Amino acid sequence: MNDTIITFDRVSKIYPSGGGPVTALSDVSLHITAGEFIALIGPSGCGKSTLMRLIGDLEQPSSGALAVCGKSAAQARRDRDYGIVFQSPVLYDWRTISKNVELPLEIMGHATAERTARARDLLKLVGLQDFGDAYPHQLSGGMQQRAAIARALSFAPKVLLMDEPFGALDEITRERLQIELLNIWSTSEPRSTVIFVTHSIPEAVFLADRVVVMSPRPGRIDQIIPIDLPRPRTFATREAAAFFALATQVRAALRHTEGE
Amino acid sequence: MTAAALARGPTDWLRTAVPPLLIFVLALAAWEGAVRGFGIPLYLLPAPSGILETFFERPDYLLRIGLSTFSNALLGCLVGCTLGVLVAALCVRWPIVADGLIPLSVAASAVPIIALSPLMGIWLGSVSAASKIGVVAVMTFFPTLINVFRGLMTPRPEEIALLRSYAAPEIDIFRKLRAPAALPFLFNALRICTTLSMIGAVVAEFFGGPQNSLGVYIKSQAGILRTQEAWSAIIVACLLGLAFYLSVLLLERLVMPWRRGRR
Repeated sequence: MNDTIITFDRVSKIYPSGGGPVTALSDVSLHITAGEFIALIGPSGCGKSTLMRLIGDLEQPSSGALAVCGKSAAQARRDRDYGIVFQSPVLYDWRTISKNVELPLEIMGHATAERTARARDLLKLVGLQDFGDAYPHQLSGGMQQRAAIARALSFAPKVLLMDEPFGALDEITRERLQIELLNIWSTSEPRSTVIFVTHSIPEAVFLADRVVVMSPRPGRIDQIIPIDLPRPRTFATREAAAFFALATQVRAALRHTEGE
Repeated sequence: MTAAALARGPTDWLRTAVPPLLIFVLALAAWEGAVRGFGIPLYLLPAPSGILETFFERPDYLLRIGLSTFSNALLGCLVGCTLGVLVAALCVRWPIVADGLIPLSVAASAVPIIALSPLMGIWLGSVSAASKIGVVAVMTFFPTLINVFRGLMTPRPEEIALLRSYAAPEIDIFRKLRAPAALPFLFNALRICTTLSMIGAVVAEFFGGPQNSLGVYIKSQAGILRTQEAWSAIIVACLLGLAFYLSVLLLERLVMPWRRGRR
């Protein structure tokens, strides 16, 4: 269980722009263990989404070395090691919820019977078993995001990349989905490694094994705070003194990134 | 939710259909009344009742010439729209083609292509069906190309990134994302093209065509002031155009079930 699955070794990402090159990530080194739940947090422009996109091979590093599952990010993408969940659900309008969940399996050439069975199981897992035949626009934002999570899990990827997946949801839905996500993650076998980008301090502390605090201009890792709250985490976790202490610690680290 | 929408369907349909029908009947009545009341001479404007009477004197003939014109409209529309879709797909595959072609096509769709009709007559034979089909094909090509290209380009970066994260090949990005995303745009184009193609087919015949065609018939009857005959042929053109339009609407509902309960 202690295998390193993702390694950043002095990785930088520089974008060319009209006003000179912009350094989105500077000299980032980070080791992520298989099965770990990592939260990336920091102010806008700190490069947390860039870091996630590098792992997913949606962008490529300007310098430094990045290894995922012992290979290049591009190879890992070709080997379908990632599932991605974006801030918006990105469900295709013309597919029913069930067909949306099946999409990755369809691309990967799985048989129809296997796809429908898998979609049924996953929709049950995220509580959407009655909505398989509905179209996305007939569902609420929270339900759509659940479907997006089911889709990302459908092919049991080794790494789950989540870019502020609950950012557009109301607080109540958000807290419920956080618990559901942890339930799904902790029961999946083998357990996926999760990279979770967020703006929310309580969300990062509640979910993660480690919170990576990042700072902007140029984007870099400022601190890594281990979260030793016991699992399974429940609604009661949010009321524990240790939870507040850790949230305060993350908040202080974030303030530190602002140069105070 | 869907069941409720279905149950509501028929009454909704009535509610949308009744007001325009009512206006239509009122307009016809006003027309009839004006022609009789003001004693408008027949060669200027025949009454609807007279037109209807003329129509029913030989409906089979009128429908036959109507269908011969309509088949030109349909074939031309099929050719123009198919080419439009193909070229739009090429434009997505090779953006350099799009950079050159799309602005020109936008300009071309502002040009009255119907003015080409006499020239098409020279190229393809003024009496032949080919020249009519040619005009309609050119008329429908540009709106289809522009709309479908726009549709194929609508997917957001995230929607594409999602497929890339599954290592989907380009062909899948086209088949599973771009093509379905372009469907509403294709049907918008098709709706425009049904009207355009009927206009094109009839007007092209004004510049010459076989005896048994709507355009030639309307022109020759109007030329000798047999306005009731001309009008009855116009009605046939309207009915065929409407039927064409409605069949595209029906096809649209069948092909895109996800857009049904949605405005």
